[in-house]
Parts: sequence; C-alpha cells; structure tokens
Amino acid sequence: MHNLSASDFVQPSPMVIEKVRHLLRDGFNTRAFGHIQPPEALGDPRWTEELILSTWSMAETGDLPEKIEYCKGRSGGGFDCLDFELNEISISEADLEQIDTSLLLNRRGEGGANLKPPIPWYGGGMSFGSVSEVLMRSRMANSLKWGTYTSTGEGGFPSSLFDYQDAIITQVATGLFGVEEKTLQAVPIIEFKYAQGAKPGLGGHLLSAKTTEEVAEMRGAVPFVSLFSPFPFHSVYSVEDHMKHIDWVKTINPNALISVKVSTPHDVDMVAVGSYYAGAHIIHLDGSYGGTGAAPEIAKKNIAMPIELAIPKVHSYLVSEGIRDQVTLIASGGIRTADDMAKAIALGADGCVLGTTELVALGCTRCSNCERGRGCTYGLTTTDPELSEWIDQQWAMQRLDNLYTALQRRIRLILAGLNLDSVAELRGRTDLLRYNEGRG
Amino acid sequence: MVLLIRLHYVVGKSTLIDHARSSTSSSQKLQHKRPSDTDYVRYSIHTNGMSDRHPLPRRFNVKVGKFGLAKLLLKETLQYLPRAILRGSSGVREALEVITARPCVYGVFSGPLGGFSPRPDLCVGCLRCTIQHPKFVRVLPNPERSLLGDSFLSFQQIGTIDEEAASGHVPVRGQGFRGRFGGPGWDGMWTDMSEIVRPTRDGIHGREFISTSIDIGSKPMHLTFDSEGLISSLKPRVLKLQVPFIFDPPLPSNADQELNEIWANTVENLDSIALFHHDVIEERARWNPWSAPIISTADWAEGWRPPKEVRYAEVEGNPVELSSLDPGAGGLIVGARISFSDGIADEIRMLHGAGWRTIHLVSNLHGMTTGGSFVLDALTQLHLDLVRFGIRDQITLIHTGGIVAAEHVAKAILCGADAVALDLPLHIAAQGRAEGDLSTRGTFAMSMPNAMDTEWGVQRLLNMCAAWRDQLLELLGAMGLREVRRLRGEHGRRMLQSDLEEDAFKDIPGFGEGA
Repeated sequence: MHNLSASDFVQPSPMVIEKVRHLLRDGFNTRAFGHIQPPEALGDPRWTEELILSTWSMAETGDLPEKIEYCKGRSGGGFDCLDFELNEISISEADLEQIDTSLLLNRRGEGGANLKPPIPWYGGGMSFGSVSEVLMRSRMANSLKWGTYTSTGEGGFPSSLFDYQDAIITQVATGLFGVEEKTLQAVPIIEFKYAQGAKPGLGGHLLSAKTTEEVAEMRGAVPFVSLFSPFPFHSVYSVEDHMKHIDWVKTINPNALISVKVSTPHDVDMVAVGSYYAGAHIIHLDGSYGGTGAAPEIAKKNIAMPIELAIPKVHSYLVSEGIRDQVTLIASGGIRTADDMAKAIALGADGCVLGTTELVALGCTRCSNCERGRGCTYGLTTTDPELSEWIDQQWAMQRLDNLYTALQRRIRLILAGLNLDSVAELRGRTDLLRYNEGRG
Repeated sequence: MVLLIRLHYVVGKSTLIDHARSSTSSSQKLQHKRPSDTDYVRYSIHTNGMSDRHPLPRRFNVKVGKFGLAKLLLKETLQYLPRAILRGSSGVREALEVITARPCVYGVFSGPLGGFSPRPDLCVGCLRCTIQHPKFVRVLPNPERSLLGDSFLSFQQIGTIDEEAASGHVPVRGQGFRGRFGGPGWDGMWTDMSEIVRPTRDGIHGREFISTSIDIGSKPMHLTFDSEGLISSLKPRVLKLQVPFIFDPPLPSNADQELNEIWANTVENLDSIALFHHDVIEERARWNPWSAPIISTADWAEGWRPPKEVRYAEVEGNPVELSSLDPGAGGLIVGARISFSDGIADEIRMLHGAGWRTIHLVSNLHGMTTGGSFVLDALTQLHLDLVRFGIRDQITLIHTGGIVAAEHVAKAILCGADAVALDLPLHIAAQGRAEGDLSTRGTFAMSMPNAMDTEWGVQRLLNMCAAWRDQLLELLGAMGLREVRRLRGEHGRRMLQSDLEEDAFKDIPGFGEGA
C-alpha cells in the first residue's frame, strides 16, 4: 500500500484555478434559475434535484426562487408529508422584518453567557480534515456576521479561526482529538458529541489521505495515518460520569454554554432529561438521516430514528418532567430547508442545526463521494491542496450569507402566514401542521 | 438423586455437545470452561478482492457533444496560447496545462482522446463535468441498471451485494441517507442504539470481540440426572455455527453443478452449513459436516439416514406429517423444514410435542408467507406466540426468504429468528441474473456467468458473507450487545415506523386519514 506524504499532492497553477473557479461558478449560476434542464443524474428522494437547485438559487440571489420547489422533497414521510396551513397574507417588508426569529440558547438561569442569535439555527460540526480550512473559515465568518455559531466538529480548530472565536462552537468528541485548554477557553459554546446521527454508535474515522500534516499537528497525531474516534466516551458509563465531563469544561470555561449532541435511540427522551440534570444548556438531537463525510450505508439507513420522530418524543417528555423551559432543544440530521426548520420547531424543537444545506449552497451535488480518493471534487470535503482551491472565502461566505438571508425570509413568511410574531411562539404547535400522507 | 443444573454456554471452540459429553462421562458438575491461550481462535472470514465475470451495467452514461468540446478547446487555445508563447516554453507548458485541465478527478476524460472518447465506467456521478460544461456534457443514470431486480429486490440492493462480493468490505459513502423515509417491509424498521453502552471494554469500539455465533438444535432449559449421575432428560444437542446464516439450496440455474460446488466450498470456509436435496449430495459423493441434506418425509419414514459425517439435516414436509415422525437420529441434529404460513405457532407447538427442536420456516423469495403476510410481522407474532407457550427458548427458528441485504439478517433476528438461510443474494454475489418476477422458487432460472469457476465463486460469496457479518457487528456494537444470540426477539431494540409515527404525529390533523 502506498504511503502518502505531502509531496503526493500537487498545487495547481493560478491559471488553472482561475479557469476552474470561473467554469464552476458559471455552471452553478446557469443551473440555479431553472432556465436549463437539471442534470439527469442529480438528486434523490430526500434531496431532490429541485431542492438542490433551489438551494443554489438562494445562494446566488439571497431570495426565494420563483420557479423551483424549495420547501420539501419526495421521501414519502416525515417533513415531506407535513405542511403548514398558511393564511394568505399581505404584509409589508418592514412588518415582515419585525417578526422575531431569534433563538434563546441559555434558559437555565444559572450563569453562563446569555446567547441569543437572531436566527433559529446554527452551523453543524464539520471537522478540519473532513473539510478544508478555507471552508471552515468561510462558515465561521458568515456565522460571525449573522451573530450565530458554527461547530468545528471533532479535532479542534486551526489558529486562523481565532479571528472568529465569538462564533465558534468547539467540539469535545470521543477521540478527544484537538481538545485543548486554549480552544475551550476561547469559545462561547462547547459541544459534547456523544453520537452522530448518520452513524450512531459507530465512532468516527478520518481517512489517512485527509490527515494532512496540518490536521495531524492539530490532532496530536501522525500525518497520513487513519484516525479513529471510539464509540462511546470511554470515560462515561452513566449520567454521573457525563456530569463530571460537564463540570470539567465548566471549570475551564465557566461562561461557556454546554451543548450535548446525541443520536436518536428509543430512550432519547430519557437521555435528554439526564443531560439536562447533568448541566447541559442545549440538548442537540442529531437524527439518523443527517450528513457525514463517511459512514457505512447500513448505519445511515437503519440505526436510530429520523429526527421528525424524535423531536416530539423529547419535547413532550421534557414538558412532562417540568423542565422544558429550562433547556434549549436543537434538532439536526435531515433538516434541509426553511420549511423543515419551521416544521421541526412546530414539532417541539427550539431551533435547528444546518450542515448539508450549507454544503449544497456551496456546490455540493450530494454525490456521496466525500470519502473517495482525494475527496470532494468541488473542493468542499477535502484537504487536497488542488481541490481546495476551487473555493475561496469571499465567494463562499457570500453564498452562505445569501442562503441565510433567504432562509430567514422564508421562516418569517411562514410565521406571518400563521399569524405568529416570533419563532418562539411556533414551538410545539403541532396543531398548525397538517399531515398529508402520500403527498411526500 | 436428581440434579438440576443450568447450562452455561462455553466460549472458544468447544460446544455444548462437548460439554455434555464430558459432564456425562465424569458425572461431575458442569463447570464454566475458560479457554486457554492455546485453544482460543478468533473467528474471521478471509476476504480477497475478486473481479467481475459478468459486470453489472455501469451506473452512468456520459455523453459529450463533440462539437461543443472542440469549440471550447479552440476558444481556450486562442485565449491562452498566444500570450503564453510570448513567455516562452514555461508559458506554453502552463497554457497547455490550463487547456487540457479536465473536469474529472476520476479519469472519465483521461483516456488518449480525452472528452472525445469518455470512459463512463469510471464515472461516480459527481456531476462536476456537467456543472462546468452544461451545454455539451450530460451524465445520465444508466437505464440498463435500473432494469435489474424486481419489485422486491432493487437494483440498488443488487449493486450493494455486487460491491460487497467484489471487495469484502462494508459499503461506506459520504453524505447522508439518500433513500425514502421509511416504507413497507424491512424499510419500516429502524434499529436501536445506546449512547453510552458498548458491547465490551475491549478494543477501540468494543465490537472487536462481539460474538456472531449461534446454536442450532435442542436446547433444554435444564438437565435431569438419575441417581447414578447420568442424564435422564432430553440431552442438549446443538450445532454451533460462527455466523447466524446458513445457505439454502441453489436456485435453478444454467450452472447447477458449479453452484453446488461453490455453495459447499464456501460454507466449509465459513464454518456454516449449506442445505442440498440429499440426492444432490449423493451425486457429488461428498458427505461432510458442512453439507446438510434435505430429506423427504417418505424417505425419513422409510429409514433413510445420512452418513455419520453429517451434522445437520432437514426433513421437508407439512407439520402434520412431520409430527408423526421421530426426529431423533443419534448425534445428528434434524430440523423440520416447513412452509411459513400465518398462525403457524400451534403447528410448531405440535412439532415441539413430537420432539422437533429446530424449525426451518420457508417463505417465498419476497419474504411473504403463504397467507400473504410479510415475514417481519409473521416472525414477530410467531416469536410472541412461542414465548406465550413457554417453549421459545427450546426451539431454534431458521427463516428463509426476503433476506436480500445485510440489515435484513439483523432485522429478522430482532423479530424472532435465531438464524436465516440465504438464497437469492448468494446468486447475486456470484453475478447471477434473472428477469421478471423473482418471488417464487422454481418459476425462473438464474443465469450465471459463463466464466464462473469454483475458486472465483467461493471467494465472491465469502466476501459477501464477511461484509454482512461486519455489518451485523456494526449494528450489534451500536446497540451495546456482545453476542448475536441476545439479539433474537429483542423487540424492544427495534423501532417500527408505524409505532413511532403514531406516537409522534397522532395529534397532527390529517394523520391516519390515508392518502
């Protein structure tokens, strides 16, 4: 087997970079308005070709597309069978902007920062190594601009991200890669990752080709060697053990909010309650249909439940335990659109986490080849020096900014159509939904 | 004096048979045997990449408009080359690098003629070429591929089996799940996981030492000893297999003899068993512990018995006929092979009363019982009925039909099977094809590759079995289970779409009203 080294990677010439960037961006733009037929092989039941193209359109324009479906897919269940019964409304832009879409993250009233991003979502974890540094910076810069947050995923973060430290959620995952005092102290939110929705119970695996010298240094590992994160935390066998973890990071950074990211098993409701009593500010449910850089297909399809089914289970249990208003419930794993976010909130979440949607906005076609060879051919999920050149921070940040603008607008339009003044009023309002079996 | 001693399963290579024999001869209390360093052999399946003999149709077709490509090349040559010439040879090299830069990192356009003669076999569907050049490059799903399979066996499942058989690896992809939300059959079930429990404290993930071994045969709940210390009750007689799947007989094909050889040799490597109609084994004149004959009730009644090398046999018939026969046959473990019908629990109780302890239930290849129920529901009900009768732990249930993916093995066991017998996927692993409706055995013939040979076929099947076992380990590891035997009938560890949707959506207007 060939052992990789830094010399195996080539740096493209500036002229090649210019050419490829131009062609790709022109291609995204051409496709984004429905003027030509979508690529025949694009899309799947969850992320249909129209959802992908409409996300590109939002990233291009900052507005909702006119001719392309942007609300739901064709998966035949979950969000795709749920609809809001919206009233026809006439509302001025000024009144629309008055609708409150902010998300309160600290509800415990026991200290910690009072964080309240103006939008009901933040960015999901994608680790340095699974994605390029420029992509991480772009996401962080956009989050900082919006006053929201983005998770670094496992493995810490490069020093260049300290410029955006107020927008960073750093992750403490089972491999404890890249967990350092200085990174924990620098950020407003610390996320414990117990499991990931796409591969619950399986741990993590950074392929050797993605463990570049920079990635390895940050993780305290050897370059170009596969890195495994075990499952689960080897030091946690109970809620009490979990509480020790939380106490430990609170000692290092007393002002940070603690998020606990878990998957969606049968007993996810009790896991949520246990996490609350262990001291978590945020319970982050990651549903089974969420994204990943690499996972066994059997895990994605079969292990744990989709997020649509987990949210009401946890929400109602927190209500019955009398602690619903002391903890923030965040949903991720299969949240694709503004409509999905609104539906998740109506089912009982406070807010959502977006991951794949951001990648799609930057050109991802959901081809599932993130882990193959050198990584993503669009330069997203790769650390390959050549492929990483296809995106630059300014371009990527602008597209994410546009996407966020369009998503917030759509959420406000939904709230207006429901005669609600804030997204917080939508939480748990299943009465505003309609289940349309067979229409998904 | 009568002693009642609970049985302990032993680890390592010993079986309950060894255990019972040694206990009986020494008249000593059963001790939990611990393996020494020398008698423990960690089970593994040898995998090796095995290339195609009858490749599946490729995933994508790539169409490039030659005129459009020529126009682009001309335009870029005029754009980059004149300026480059002024900068000398390095400038020309750089310009050529730009002009020939291809929009594919997988080599589709890296042949001698580049995009003028693309190589679609290498296409993985990233679509970058058609995004960059929407006017003259198209990537289309290959319609030939979507014609594979039938209403139950999807072409995606065929592709997955083919990949597993070629590599022996668990299929891994980037991005999230791409399929439908749930669905009928097995797709309406998810499996549970634990946030903090892992199967063992050994290894990185704890799944390195999960056991996938099962016991087929008679498993009495206790032993009864007479005053001389000899077992006076029904003795335990079990066959220990390292994987919870055995092979059903090959389906009719254009290569029956070759398939028999491949089946027989594969199970020998796996340490599993393959079922054949007994005349097939007789024709091959190769009786061994891994080939198991299927015998008619008439032959069994007339006293036909396999040679002593054989460890397992099945008598095929209807429950009434079978209940009149004696399944006892020395050291041989004998199962009753019957059609899976709805409400079969009473008949199995009758068979249990007649001494049958292994029941092989055969549904059609779509996993439907003779009464039209899917096996998920039928196995679930049967398991619960046998628990209610108080005989579930005394019986080994093997199920055949409707198992076409690795997850189906785990799901069938979760519903109540102890083991499954594989049929159609083994043929797909050996790159067999069939057209039309594939639900009923004997109504179609598999077309196997002309260039198939035993060594190739055995390795393909071993690869698939290794990949399926590894995926079973993934599911067990996620659940925190350290052996597949504990998965059997664990209804609490499965999550049914119908139940979860009822819980989650029951208060939402429109739910339950149908399409």
